[in-house]
Amino acid sequence: MGRVGIVGVGHSKFGKRNDASLRELAFEAYGAALDDADMDSSNIDSSVICSATHYDKQRSPAGVVAEYLGLNPQPTFNVEAACASSAVGLRTAWALVSSRLHDVMTVVGVQKMTELSSEEIQELMGRAGDVMWESPFGTTMPAYYAMYATAHMARFGTTEEQMALVPVKNRKYGSKNPNAMFQKPITAEEVLKSRPVASPLKLFDCCANADGAACLIIANAEKARKLTDRPVWVAGLGLASSPMSLAGRKGPMTSFEVTKNAAMSAYQMARVSPNDIDVAEVHDSFSITEILNYEDLRFAKPGGGTRLLEKGETELGGKIPVNIDGGLISKGHPVGATGASQLFALTKQLRGEAGSTQVDGAKIGLAQNIGGIGMYSAVTILKA
Amino acid sequence: MGFEKFGRFGYVSQTKINPLLSYLEKGQIAATRCKKCGRTYFPPRAECLDDRQSAIEWVVLDGKGSLITFTKVFFAPPAFQAETPYLLGLAELSNGFRVFAPVSPSVDEKQLKPGKELNLKVARGSRDNLFYWLE
Repeated sequence: MGRVGIVGVGHSKFGKRNDASLRELAFEAYGAALDDADMDSSNIDSSVICSATHYDKQRSPAGVVAEYLGLNPQPTFNVEAACASSAVGLRTAWALVSSRLHDVMTVVGVQKMTELSSEEIQELMGRAGDVMWESPFGTTMPAYYAMYATAHMARFGTTEEQMALVPVKNRKYGSKNPNAMFQKPITAEEVLKSRPVASPLKLFDCCANADGAACLIIANAEKARKLTDRPVWVAGLGLASSPMSLAGRKGPMTSFEVTKNAAMSAYQMARVSPNDIDVAEVHDSFSITEILNYEDLRFAKPGGGTRLLEKGETELGGKIPVNIDGGLISKGHPVGATGASQLFALTKQLRGEAGSTQVDGAKIGLAQNIGGIGMYSAVTILKA
Repeated sequence: MGFEKFGRFGYVSQTKINPLLSYLEKGQIAATRCKKCGRTYFPPRAECLDDRQSAIEWVVLDGKGSLITFTKVFFAPPAFQAETPYLLGLAELSNGFRVFAPVSPSVDEKQLKPGKELNLKVARGSRDNLFYWLE
């Protein structure tokens, strides 16, 4: 298997983008990635369009997105893995490039969510779980993660005040990210006083639905070196699955087995350990998710995630800066684009182009992206 | 057809495990068991994972369990908004099965914590729908 390098990245502004359609959002990120790689569409052999297609008005969106990006007649198709769609899209493209079926590919993560009425969004949210055995009781996305929070609080004494440190940290860095949906810092008091969504989670513990796109262009080693003098290498790819039903999962519900399994594969493939990671992007769909991710990725021991936060170890300047682009909590969560957005941030860090949030000398980055209510988790390790 | 009667608001109407509804009608909660190897499934499933050609039979569960975790939902999907807020729980039954179910409003919320013993009981909704909850 040959090495695969990221040679270009692009990112649209995330948020309520009522000025742009799905295809136009995709073009913003794709065009920026072409500019970044200093190439045009004739170099691209194939495209993977990543979105949770149930949000899109357009059925089979790869068709219209590839057309609008000028990527016909090259092969194109959709990859869907809920919130982890574009991390799984990279995995798919990596396999196609390292098999030599294609040389240069683009992975476009895109989502248009705010065009749906809040009624439609709530109806979709109600079917996020197992529709036969769990949705009939009124489950929601936050309710599932809240149940992990309740269990973590009971087992480890985690408090709502400690969970509030996640949005406080991430919104601080989001204020430095021009692509973020929310660019205003937030206080712990504001988080704690925000309205309850699913106890113990409150409004500001939760990320927001958003529109947006992020794009990666990848190439085999030979082409990557020709196309750029600063490729970032895909060093480790981990992906695992877990029962979709909560009742089908084992253990005390204080960690995601799916992330532990994905992390093990990624660390093994990249031949690195958690201590080697210089900068990380983890899936902070909710405050509690970031805390569980620290533990599942082995940045902290079980129950030790809150301590890491309190000591400032995941801040810029700490042992392992996490989500210093603002995370999902600041950027918003355009489901299909989130995985590629994390990899955009890491690529910038590993090239030393992250500006005021640059981690000095960052060489190894890790991105972790959960799909849906934890039935998929992808861990991707990049090296400079 | 018919399985849309399951739950507070059912999404799925067509399935092989419709007989569950007849047990719920009688106030019983039932699992399926492989006639060949005895492996038991709850929620019920129509085929054994190990013996794919074997028939399954139904067995009634006693419903004793203890709570693993729970949440109180304040922001609900459209079909559930009239009942908001409501409690959802995950419990482990005495025979090791886990069940996701509402927590009955008769349970004192202040007493609710992981480890609390609760029983899975059949409940009937206002639209003649059938389900189970923890009480």
